[in-house]
Amino acid sequence: MGKLSHGDVVHLLIQLSVMLLLGRLLSESLRKFKQPAVIGEIIAGILLGPTVLGMINPEWFQALYPVPSATATVLTGIVQVAVIMLLFIAGLEVDLHIVWQQGKQAIATSLLGLIVPFSFGFVFPYLFPDFFGIADQQDKLTFTLFMGTAMAISALPVIVRILMDLNLFKSKMGMLVVTSAMIDDLIGWLIFSVILGMIGKKGESISILNTVLLTISFVAVMLTLGRGLLNRILPWINKKLAWPGGVLSISLALCFLGAAFTEYIGLHAIFGAFIIGVAFGDSKHFSERAKEIVHQFINNIFAPLFFVSIGLRVNFITNFDWGLTLAIVAIAFAGKIIGSGLGTRLGGFSWRESLAASFGMNARGAMEIILGLVALENGLINERVFVSLVIMALITSMTSGPLMKWVLKK
Amino acid sequence: MTGYFKKIALAIGFSPTSRALLKEASRLANLFRAQLILVHVGTHGSEEESKMSELIQSVDAGDLNPIVLWKEGDPVKEILQVCSTENIDLLVAGALKKENLLQNYIGTVARKIMRKANCSILMIQNPNEQAESVNNIVVNAEDSPYIEDAIKAGCYLGKMENAQWVHIARELKLLGLALSANEQCTEDEYHESMQGMVREEIDEVEKILARIPRENLKVNIKMLSGKSGYELARFAERKKAELLIVGAPARRFSLFDRVFPHDLEYIFANLPCNLLIINPRHN
Repeated sequence: MGKLSHGDVVHLLIQLSVMLLLGRLLSESLRKFKQPAVIGEIIAGILLGPTVLGMINPEWFQALYPVPSATATVLTGIVQVAVIMLLFIAGLEVDLHIVWQQGKQAIATSLLGLIVPFSFGFVFPYLFPDFFGIADQQDKLTFTLFMGTAMAISALPVIVRILMDLNLFKSKMGMLVVTSAMIDDLIGWLIFSVILGMIGKKGESISILNTVLLTISFVAVMLTLGRGLLNRILPWINKKLAWPGGVLSISLALCFLGAAFTEYIGLHAIFGAFIIGVAFGDSKHFSERAKEIVHQFINNIFAPLFFVSIGLRVNFITNFDWGLTLAIVAIAFAGKIIGSGLGTRLGGFSWRESLAASFGMNARGAMEIILGLVALENGLINERVFVSLVIMALITSMTSGPLMKWVLKK
Repeated sequence: MTGYFKKIALAIGFSPTSRALLKEASRLANLFRAQLILVHVGTHGSEEESKMSELIQSVDAGDLNPIVLWKEGDPVKEILQVCSTENIDLLVAGALKKENLLQNYIGTVARKIMRKANCSILMIQNPNEQAESVNNIVVNAEDSPYIEDAIKAGCYLGKMENAQWVHIARELKLLGLALSANEQCTEDEYHESMQGMVREEIDEVEKILARIPRENLKVNIKMLSGKSGYELARFAERKKAELLIVGAPARRFSLFDRVFPHDLEYIFANLPCNLLIINPRHN
């Protein structure tokens, strides 16, 4: 293992501490307004990063977060691990039992909630590539497919929180909304995995087919054989190993192993982590208590580091484009509200309830930001599109609760 | 509740467990003052007829004047057919605790009936002629349009059988997800919200219980979290329950549900004890 100098260690620890402190401070202030923590953490990053601190006092910013430096490399590594863990818990949240329980209705509702926003996100950039800043025309298909996926994904924890606030979580509508969001996320990450495999391949059909086959086979094997294997080893872990230490370290070890495997075979690491999460979450032996501990541990330590780091790497003012942001926010709202609204209406709910459900499903939250960041890192989108996507994720998450309340009260 | 099941059918062959099954079915027919119908699928001749009357006499079921229906062909199809043409309210059948992998996917007669029947079903595993005393009855108060019927049946049977406890199991759905969505709370708010969730579920069950006469019956409301069905089966095992009562699911289960088991499919695949599925669909 490499070694950090004494100064680097102090520097790194201060960096981590500042990120966690400011992240917590801002998410606590937003908690008063019933807003998700992610919003405060993003704002903390913007304050600490080139956007605010870098603009007010560039030396201070450079002193706190110097690039390139050994600490920057370590921090990038930590953030990378944080993303993988975040995808693991996103996978844990997908409860296939509830999906099967809700049956065909949930699938129909979620498909509409997926297809409509996906097509909106696909069609507009396809028709106006210059406006969306697609530099390389040959990557147009990959970019438009990505925008489609970015519009289709949803933020399950935000939705659950809103439904609980409105006392709708366990209602028929609540379960339908939660299930649909789960299916949308599952399919969304599947498509995103294929898109990541397409980057730079300039539409070579053989390699695209290869990626599709790899993705589908990985999911199929993990959710049948992998899940079966987990169902055999988890009872042993629960019985013989220390609790919750055993299940925590082994689940995360398998998450990293799955992530390494998908990265190795040419799919992105986050996809492996997500599917391993789904397999764990689906196992009857992975208790709700264990799920909660994994959640708390990742959501309160690693997630803030990741979300604060977003603001550290991107300047939100120089990359802010009014027109683009407005367009992306409008497409996001229109796609989800029409798609999920129609889907819920078909599920037998009134127009008003369907509109409320669609506002709930409109929340994009953390998942959108992760999706955007991976796309940015892979050169699929530029910083302007990324900034617009982050703002869209924040606006949709902040408005969905109040809008839902407003519609239901009317 | 006495006349809740007006017609009780027993799927009967000439196996070593037939006597025990018939004894149990007659006991239930007496309990509910129901008409008993015996369905035999297989060859029908004078030999079988005399065997059947011997069987009926041997368990003193003659007073019930059971009707015997002789059918030929596919057992599952014939039994289900009788259930619908005869307007059967409760079908009684024997079932193995667990089937092997292939049997689980293809489905044996008992499992197929369990998944497809349009009436209430009592699956008896390891039928025993010595009527066992019922100490613990577990009722599932989840995932069915017939929760109230199931609780009603549980309380009625609990009283009639002098059960020590009737446990009503309710589920905290997606607890892990709900708790993690709750992370933006202080410690007090967190506990309050957790207690609120539990309270809400208990209130739901108590609302139903208020409509059901219980007299001195001891009723315990139990909250479960985890995978529905699976946790219910484990709870029934932990309580060493003799009978598990569930409401029929809102839809029929298919092969897909066996590959990706959920809810009652866990119970169908591995019976923790005798299982009564309440399905008043045609009532």
